[in-house]
Amino acid sequence: METRRDVFHAIADPTRRAILHMLAGKKMNLNAVADRFDISRPAISRHIKVLTECGMVIIKQEGRERYCIANPQPLKEVEAWMKTYKDFWADSLDALDEFLKKQRTRKK
Amino acid sequence: MKKVTEKRVFVQVEKTFDEPAETIFDAWLDIEMLSHWMFGPAVRNEEILNLTNDPRPGGRFSYQVKRGNEILNHIGAYLEVKRPYLLVFTWGVDIEPAEESVVTIRIAPTATGSLLQLEHDMDLKWSAYADRTEEGWTYMIGLLHDYLQRKKAK
Repeated sequence: METRRDVFHAIADPTRRAILHMLAGKKMNLNAVADRFDISRPAISRHIKVLTECGMVIIKQEGRERYCIANPQPLKEVEAWMKTYKDFWADSLDALDEFLKKQRTRKK
Repeated sequence: MKKVTEKRVFVQVEKTFDEPAETIFDAWLDIEMLSHWMFGPAVRNEEILNLTNDPRPGGRFSYQVKRGNEILNHIGAYLEVKRPYLLVFTWGVDIEPAEESVVTIRIAPTATGSLLQLEHDMDLKWSAYADRTEEGWTYMIGLLHDYLQRKKAK
């Protein structure tokens, strides 16, 4: 379950969250991302590196430009993990209902 | 339906039953009943190895099943046992011992039977980030929501 921790590490930092937010729905040139922040370019590069390592940002080379694209897959994995719990309980309750209905029919 | 609070994530499920609250409450504690709806071949492709419980505050349970080649032991302890309206227990699967978590079951009578509300309060493995969990989860679920909305719009 390495992914989950990675995702958390990725979003544990406010700058990285701001980067993800900027990339939501649109790809951006790497320099354009850096220009939006008051911190140094190497620092932004490091943040983007963390995001790419966690699989939450993909860097795409297009000609001479490098673009950052947000990847929601790791988020979906976390959501899926939560859903397994939810489904387990929902299925259990449905099974309980079925079982009680059967029991009642038998008693009649 | 998910709630996020400091350090915690909840999953919530509710269901109405045509049975009195007592019947529903007992179904969670009676081993014979449990083997018909929570575990065993009646529910999914698994074999029951051993179901034991001691339903009183501080008492423990162990529900052991075999799925394929994997043996899963669902273990926990009862925190509150108030028949027929409240049952609280810890919940973990021994292959993931770090993930013990708390399940709260509230049962209320209705005109036609009862309403059960279950809340699973998950103990997150990444508690190293606990101080940021709320922010993190709210943000993540928000991001996911935005993404799914956008996908729908396309």
